[in-house]
Amino acid sequence: MVLRRTVFVSAALTQLSTLGLVAAIAVEERLGVEVERAGVQLAVAVAFSVAGALLLSRLQAGRRLPSEAGVGIAWVIAGALAVLGASQLVHAAHDLGSMVFGSAVAVPTSELAFLAAVALGCAAVHALFVRELVLVSFDAETARAMGIRAGGWNAVLFLTLGLAIPPAARAIGALPTFAFLTLPAAAALLLAARLPRIFAVAAGLGAASAAIGYGLSWTAQLPTGATMVAVAGLALVPGAALRLLRG
Amino acid sequence: MSAGALLVALRGATVGYGRRPLLGGVELSVRAGDFLGIVGPNGGGKTTVLRALLGALEPLAGRRELPAPLAVGYVPQRDLVDPIWPLTAEEVARMGRARLLRPGRRLGLADRETVREALARVGVGELADRPFRELSGGERQRTLIARALAAEPALLALDEPTNGMDPAGEEDVLELLDTLNRERGLAVVMVSHRLDVVARHAAALCYVDQARGLVRTGPADEMLEPEALAALFGRPVRLGGVVPAAAPAARGRP
Repeated sequence: MVLRRTVFVSAALTQLSTLGLVAAIAVEERLGVEVERAGVQLAVAVAFSVAGALLLSRLQAGRRLPSEAGVGIAWVIAGALAVLGASQLVHAAHDLGSMVFGSAVAVPTSELAFLAAVALGCAAVHALFVRELVLVSFDAETARAMGIRAGGWNAVLFLTLGLAIPPAARAIGALPTFAFLTLPAAAALLLAARLPRIFAVAAGLGAASAAIGYGLSWTAQLPTGATMVAVAGLALVPGAALRLLRG
Repeated sequence: MSAGALLVALRGATVGYGRRPLLGGVELSVRAGDFLGIVGPNGGGKTTVLRALLGALEPLAGRRELPAPLAVGYVPQRDLVDPIWPLTAEEVARMGRARLLRPGRRLGLADRETVREALARVGVGELADRPFRELSGGERQRTLIARALAAEPALLALDEPTNGMDPAGEEDVLELLDTLNRERGLAVVMVSHRLDVVARHAAALCYVDQARGLVRTGPADEMLEPEALAALFGRPVRLGGVVPAAAPAARGRP
């Protein structure tokens, strides 16, 4: 998404995912459900995120509004509705902070397993169809002229995002999810020159900054999500310094 | 593909975006070995006509005739290709094979050989490992033409291929297109707002101006007659020193 110059699509989808979560909790409260059903909440968050992803994948610049405006509108409306919805919650209002910033310390094993399965599935789709996904991202106009279904492949890419974001946002929060979709990729683009290496470096930096941030938050008694984001931000420094040195 | 065989045509087509028609009554056909220039003012609907011809845009009325599956090599406007991508010239050219491979399949040795031949054919073979973003405007344009050739097309379509190029680079690209058209019998359809440039190379012209609802197609020599030009532009027009390209038969092509 960094190379496609559409990083805020990830932000909009994390907000939509949070909105789905809030909506599910609100309905549970209204129905008087005693025990929260994490699986149902996650399913609603995935539905919101996937619907948003498919809608945003079809977003094209109109004659009056650029496509970025659509992404911004989705982000800000979903964010506002999530806050409004959370303000109406009786029991779970205190959870809003962890939904946005994440806790990452008390994630049930089942949710981690689901997140790992979704992440592996998405990575497999990206690896298998890298040629098609890169073509429609790099030059959709030519893909269409060659008879390739650019809209379909675009939808596949956005669908993987829409599927992966809710379990990640549920585990670590909306802000760290957006950060991990952006910062490691940006850092890798500064450090490496070829696409396969950039993918590998981004994945490595993401994993390393998550692990280091997690450990640091324990030892220094800091908020986990924010610490991981700060460490991921530091990953930009070597690449930026390298660019400065090379002029 | 036999010489002169119909590749694709628009028959009485109305083209536009959404439900908004831009141009109506478009009659345009491309045959094997043709060199067609689609010309007209900026914003006149040239790219829209090309998109409809290639099937990337459904006509709002009329029809697109496609007698057989058509392999298209497409060269977009250079500005539409984002140089931020960390791809080498060869990686860009490899994209041309996309239509020939099933989804998920990797390029084989033969595919790579075809790509390298295409790069060499357009004179950028030695730049294969260079980052696309570090190439000059002319080199990038040649790389995009190589990508189009890697598709093994019967029809090469180019949208403003000489935009922003200096006169020498412009002439280089046009000579390359001439050579591909003459030696390989490759049909070339080229969009340009520069009538004087296209007129030197295209054997047929399609003049498009949506502001005046005008679509006119014909052999270049007829379209460039002073009377025809005056009728197109609504005032006397003189193209200094332009000698229209010879029709395919006069060039001795099969």
